[in-house]
Amino acid sequence: MNTDVTVQLDRVSKSFGDFTAVKELSLTVRAGRVFGLLGPNGAGKTTTIRMIVNITAPDSGSISVFGQKINEALQNRIGYLPEERGLYRRMKVVDQLRFFAELKNVRGKNVEKKIDEWLARIKLSDWKTKRSMELSKGMQQKIQFLTAVLHEPDLLILDEPFSGLDPINLELLKEIVLDLKRAGKTIIFSTHQMEVAEKICDDICLLNRSQKVFEGSLREIKSSFGRNSIALRLVGGDGVLDDPALVSKLVRHADEVQALLAKGADAQVLLRRLIDAGATIERFEMVEPSLNDIFITKVTEHA
Amino acid sequence: MTKFLAILKREYIQRVRAKMFIVSTILLPVVMSSFAIVPAVILNLPAGPMRVAVIDQTGKLYGRLEEALAKDEGGDQPDQNRPGPEMVDRDIQLDQVASVGPDAAAERAKLDDRLRAKDLDGYLVLPQDFVAHGKAEFFNNNPGDELSRRILQSVLTRAVREQRLIEAQVAPETRQGLFQPIELQSVKIGATGEERDSGGGFILVFGVGFIMYLAILMYGQVILGAVIEEKETRIAEILFSSVRPFTLMMGKLVGVSLVALTQLAIWATAFSVFALYGVNLLASRGLKAGIPNIPFVQYVYFGLFFLLGYFIYATIYALVGSMVTTTQEGGQLAMPIILILVVSFYLFLPVSRSPDSSFSFWVSIIPFSAPVAMLVRIVTRTPPFWQIALSLLIGFGTVLSIMWVAARIYRVGMLMYGKRASIPEALRWARQA
Repeated sequence: MNTDVTVQLDRVSKSFGDFTAVKELSLTVRAGRVFGLLGPNGAGKTTTIRMIVNITAPDSGSISVFGQKINEALQNRIGYLPEERGLYRRMKVVDQLRFFAELKNVRGKNVEKKIDEWLARIKLSDWKTKRSMELSKGMQQKIQFLTAVLHEPDLLILDEPFSGLDPINLELLKEIVLDLKRAGKTIIFSTHQMEVAEKICDDICLLNRSQKVFEGSLREIKSSFGRNSIALRLVGGDGVLDDPALVSKLVRHADEVQALLAKGADAQVLLRRLIDAGATIERFEMVEPSLNDIFITKVTEHA
Repeated sequence: MTKFLAILKREYIQRVRAKMFIVSTILLPVVMSSFAIVPAVILNLPAGPMRVAVIDQTGKLYGRLEEALAKDEGGDQPDQNRPGPEMVDRDIQLDQVASVGPDAAAERAKLDDRLRAKDLDGYLVLPQDFVAHGKAEFFNNNPGDELSRRILQSVLTRAVREQRLIEAQVAPETRQGLFQPIELQSVKIGATGEERDSGGGFILVFGVGFIMYLAILMYGQVILGAVIEEKETRIAEILFSSVRPFTLMMGKLVGVSLVALTQLAIWATAFSVFALYGVNLLASRGLKAGIPNIPFVQYVYFGLFFLLGYFIYATIYALVGSMVTTTQEGGQLAMPIILILVVSFYLFLPVSRSPDSSFSFWVSIIPFSAPVAMLVRIVTRTPPFWQIALSLLIGFGTVLSIMWVAARIYRVGMLMYGKRASIPEALRWARQA
């Protein structure tokens, strides 16, 4: 088996009663990369992750992690931050971190040093001996993040890690994730926040309605879409943009419009039509589609 | 195993360190002893002596009454034949009113006035034929005071009894001898012959049963709360990426149980110190009390069946905890558990009456009733060893099975997010992989 592969799913299915959560899913997470598991709510992201972490077993298909069939011993090499997460309210931060490390069979003097280092890194050193109920929600979220990375896992799985964080802390955690990647760790990152995923993922897998829609590197998928998206800032010429023969999708922002060209339509034709219609054009730029656009397009196609 | 210990350690240390634990350790004995002491104190609140006037138409009972009263107050030896409540006592102040003859009506009118003036609590009229027929009247303005009436009746009974014996010309020594209390000793015929047993075994069974009941009552809810804790704080999923649900559940059960045992041990030590002091005190007064005379192996059985009883019921609380999402819900569901516990306690009686019946056999094998029933059998007619071993084996096997089922329900329930399981759902969840 290829050692460059950290996680491999082969035609994995899982259902709860009548509800199929994951259907015939195959995917490959390469070592040392940030793998984005993307999809709308209820697409099967969390169930997929739980199977990788060995919390629940697939009905059929096989999962291998670090080249082995998933088993309990492997759990110690995985760090998992679930979407549903919390802390023991009455326990001190340091005791809490020590406990979670112990559950990964990491103990001893070294742990104390690591706890101090990590607390300093997330700027919570002063809160070391406070009970977690005294911490703000954002602080708690950073501590929860530490519980997933303290034991230095080779595979880190983060389910919506940044939801609800302010921009400063979001940036802080994002930096840590990218540092871990540079240190050779593999990261699976599940979210429906496309803007964040776009910035840190190397590879992505799009899930929709328990099935895979797309899997590959972010670069590839972007270039496969081509530059068929146009960023516009203009006054007038409204009717032209509503022509379905030219524009398949129109998104209006505060002072800008983003138009996705219809299949076979030519950007030059659109520009000429706008000028003919008497529009004053301040900006007309062909841009790469955002991951968000790709996501919406793919999901709509799939439906 | 190391993860099990990590969970156990957290559970134990967090709880023993908590203020709640320290407060309850100190407070509970205080509350319990005040339950015993306060009613007695209230009943014995000084009410002042009862002032009773006596119209003694027999002409010979007043002296006997005074004697009976004097004996009552001066006597260290409790009079075992004395009727009435032992705990309550009230001094009686007697006042003889000369009354033989036709003046009786006038005297009574005077006493009535004194009653109204609250100069007197009541007066007794002992008719001439009282010694023979034993019927007298007590006039007072507070007929609701049943306790005082009883005390008076008891004193009067003794006075009359004494008078009757004198009239029957019974010698004073014989009179003394007549009221010597008797002692009934129960002797057990065991395999090795006769063993004197003052019922100490029974008292021990009762004590073990009571402590079990107390421990369940106090710590059942704690176990329930401990199992729910990770659901309420949403930590469960993080934990399950590191430990198996069964390990988590067992760690919690054992951790909380060790807290319970710690608390019981503290109380037991404190109690022993007091008991030792008390025993010495009794010994100095010539009363003997001691550890019941039963074989050592039975103490081992007491320990084992106490643990079994505790764990059987504790695991049901864990099971309930695995099915619900909040402690409040759990509290309601847990009510029937106490009921089963109480019922199994009452099996004490039928089992002690016929410890060898097949009924006794089965209730001492069924885990929920085994702890009390088997102990009763052990102290009455010790059953063959294989039965004791079987009972323990089935019991602890049941504990593990319940925990296994609870762990499965817990895990599936966690995956379903905040949904309370109905019983059929719980069964389905337990079957699901």
